[in-house]
Amino acid sequence: MSDTKTAVAVEAAAKPKKRINFGFDKYSGLYVWALLIIAFSLWIPSLFLQSSTLQQVIIFQAISALVALGLCIPVAAGAFDLTVAATLTVSMCFTGWALVNHHGIVVAAGGALLIGIVVGLANSLVVVKLKVDSFIGTLGMSSILVAVAYRITDTSQIVLSTSGYAPFFDFARTQLFGLPRSVYYAAIIAAIIWWILEYTPGGRYLYAVGGNPIAARLAGVRVNRITTLAFVASGLIAAFAGIVAMATIGTAGADSGSGYLLPAFSAVFLGATQIRPGRVNVIGTLIAIFLLATGVTGLQLAGAPNYVTGLFNGVALITAVALAARSARRRA
Amino acid sequence: MTTALSVRDATKIFGGTTALDHVSIDVEPGEVRALVGQNGCGKSTLIKVLAGYHQPEPGTSVTVGGQELVFGDGTASEAAGLRFVHQDLGLVANLDAVDNMALGQGYVTNGLKTIRWRKERAAAREALASLGYEINIAMPVAGLQMSERTAIAIARAMSTRGTPPKMLILDEPTANLPAAEAQRLYALVKRVAATGVAVLFVSHHFDEVFEMAESVTVLRDGKHIITRPVEGLTEDHLIEYVVGRTLVDADHGGAVRPHGESILELSGVSGRTVRDLNLSVHRGEVVGIAGITGSGREEVASLIFGGHGHAGEITVEGRMLPQSRPDISMERGVALVPAERHANAALMDHSLRENITIVNPGHHMTLGFLRRKPERSDVQTWLERLDVRPPIPEFTMMQLSGGNQQKVVIARWLRQEPKVLILDEPTQGVDVGAKADIHTMVDEAAAQGTAVIVASTDHEELIRVCDRVVIMRRGRAAEIIERGRLTADTLTAATIGRDVSDGAA
Repeated sequence: MSDTKTAVAVEAAAKPKKRINFGFDKYSGLYVWALLIIAFSLWIPSLFLQSSTLQQVIIFQAISALVALGLCIPVAAGAFDLTVAATLTVSMCFTGWALVNHHGIVVAAGGALLIGIVVGLANSLVVVKLKVDSFIGTLGMSSILVAVAYRITDTSQIVLSTSGYAPFFDFARTQLFGLPRSVYYAAIIAAIIWWILEYTPGGRYLYAVGGNPIAARLAGVRVNRITTLAFVASGLIAAFAGIVAMATIGTAGADSGSGYLLPAFSAVFLGATQIRPGRVNVIGTLIAIFLLATGVTGLQLAGAPNYVTGLFNGVALITAVALAARSARRRA
Repeated sequence: MTTALSVRDATKIFGGTTALDHVSIDVEPGEVRALVGQNGCGKSTLIKVLAGYHQPEPGTSVTVGGQELVFGDGTASEAAGLRFVHQDLGLVANLDAVDNMALGQGYVTNGLKTIRWRKERAAAREALASLGYEINIAMPVAGLQMSERTAIAIARAMSTRGTPPKMLILDEPTANLPAAEAQRLYALVKRVAATGVAVLFVSHHFDEVFEMAESVTVLRDGKHIITRPVEGLTEDHLIEYVVGRTLVDADHGGAVRPHGESILELSGVSGRTVRDLNLSVHRGEVVGIAGITGSGREEVASLIFGGHGHAGEITVEGRMLPQSRPDISMERGVALVPAERHANAALMDHSLRENITIVNPGHHMTLGFLRRKPERSDVQTWLERLDVRPPIPEFTMMQLSGGNQQKVVIARWLRQEPKVLILDEPTQGVDVGAKADIHTMVDEAAAQGTAVIVASTDHEELIRVCDRVVIMRRGRAAEIIERGRLTADTLTAATIGRDVSDGAA
């Protein structure tokens, strides 16, 4: 039986089908994105077809993109990190608190990044050492972090006045070729993670751990260390996203980051159905972010109520995972 | 009385290979029949045809208690009165005996669908008592002895809810049992047979054939070789029927390979089952590890490589291997091809390229970037060297057959040029051709000065490749059989603990 299977496989490999490959399997996201753009262009041309719309989509997604990109790393290694949004919140609140209390930008940003690293280490302690399932472990940790955020903000909003904190706001808002710095940060982080996942041994180890941790360990991969580093990386990037978010938005509260969790997961899982189906990857994640953002922005411009964002992201997440499960079945 | 099971011309072909070739057997009610043969002889195919898992070729006919069996339908097999207990027993470890016995047949309920626990418990206790067992039925089965768990699985199979059982089919019932518990199982099987139910059991252990069975059927290469009473049968004859020849010739010329200095030293090494193991393995030598399951044979490979923790000292070229650190063992030149490739070795959804280079992905890195092209051609060379089909680096592991997957895992390690190569059940679930290739690879590795350890339950394999074989019994290295004395009988006898070798040597 296995021999015939192999024979068929050889044949298939030897004789590529004489059909034009539109790449529906790998690039379906791009097609859906194009369809969305066309649909909205026909539906609400006056509102949708403006350069400001595109700009708006890009700017608003810089923070989401940062969170999702950081999340790619642990998910590639088969671990959920549900703390990303809460880490972003704590980072925002801490940055705001440090600035309001005149500790200076260096302490504010440095402290926020340190928090990210500590959260990553705490997550790996729970998941690697205490062997708590990553979903449960980081869910609990995320609740703890929200409590920390309430403690920092004293359950109120921290507001940075535009005039008083100009140098800090410049960090995210200064424009370069018509786009704020935050967009460039997201692009740089994307490039780094793309390089790590695709072109370094570390990327191979992450995917191997995600594929089969027992086999990876018996192939000499230091599974625990890789998992720890993955959590630290996502914590650090989420904290960085928090600094960028604070500099973009200017206010922080204990609920500031909650809206970033689902879009990040939607983007990562939808992204895993693209480019390299079955595998979390940077390009796929970026496509997914812009696809989701286009959908949400278009619907809002068309007059849909605010809650459509959550609806859209939720549907996208489930669809993405269902599609991934289906294609995995077909490949097996 | 009608024949309990009658199989006529059972034939099954898998993609050109005849797994079962016109096999006909009859089993009478109350008879205990052993079904023996080498791996791949067709035993499991026959069982799976009876279980409704495989659809046999047209022309096959099976009657159970005189009734024609409908093929390819597990429910029909069950309804016909066939009951199966598989090697893994199919019990849920954290449920107690009552719950496990209710699995698959449902609970006794009252009109409100409330489970009638008292009745359930009484039924379970009674079913076990009728098999001669008094078991704590409220304890999760994980806490019970293996023979008690086997009894629960058998009691469940024998339950008369639905149609009464006519035939009980056991797959390697004592494979996981220590000797004393095996004795209890023999008694249990006899009780089952005494109720008029026929028993057919698949076995690799000749002692259970002689102690438990009244008659034996031997299959070889898918064909029926003989069915005869156990009475008057000698172990030598049975081996001859199974293997198909009297003497087993040594395949690498019969001579022990020339070998160099000792490179791997184990002194006083203990693990979960293994106790106080001392062993030195030399360059260019192939050492086998044999033993029944539970003897420690299954643990040795992982123990040396650091798959789990050990006590005692393991050194390679005089350097200690630390506890549970496969990465350091690898750095020191040790390689492990683990048993159960799907769970322990293969990255199924990764490409062959990634599977092979995972042990040193940085090898093809220049200026901070992994270069796929040289990596691919490197991998291609290895795939061709080991005759992996198809030799396409970008194929995923799951597109390959079992034998080819195993070759990829072996290629992963041979590419590292290890000083010590440990193979655990290297040809498990591997077809005949790939098996021969893997044995040739072992020869080649040894010829290049690698110290090789092969842990295997396949005695033919150990005879084929090893210079000497360490026999594990109850966690200890009970004896070492040198090349000149390696035969199927000495190995079988030694692993089950009967020392026939003294007289022979």
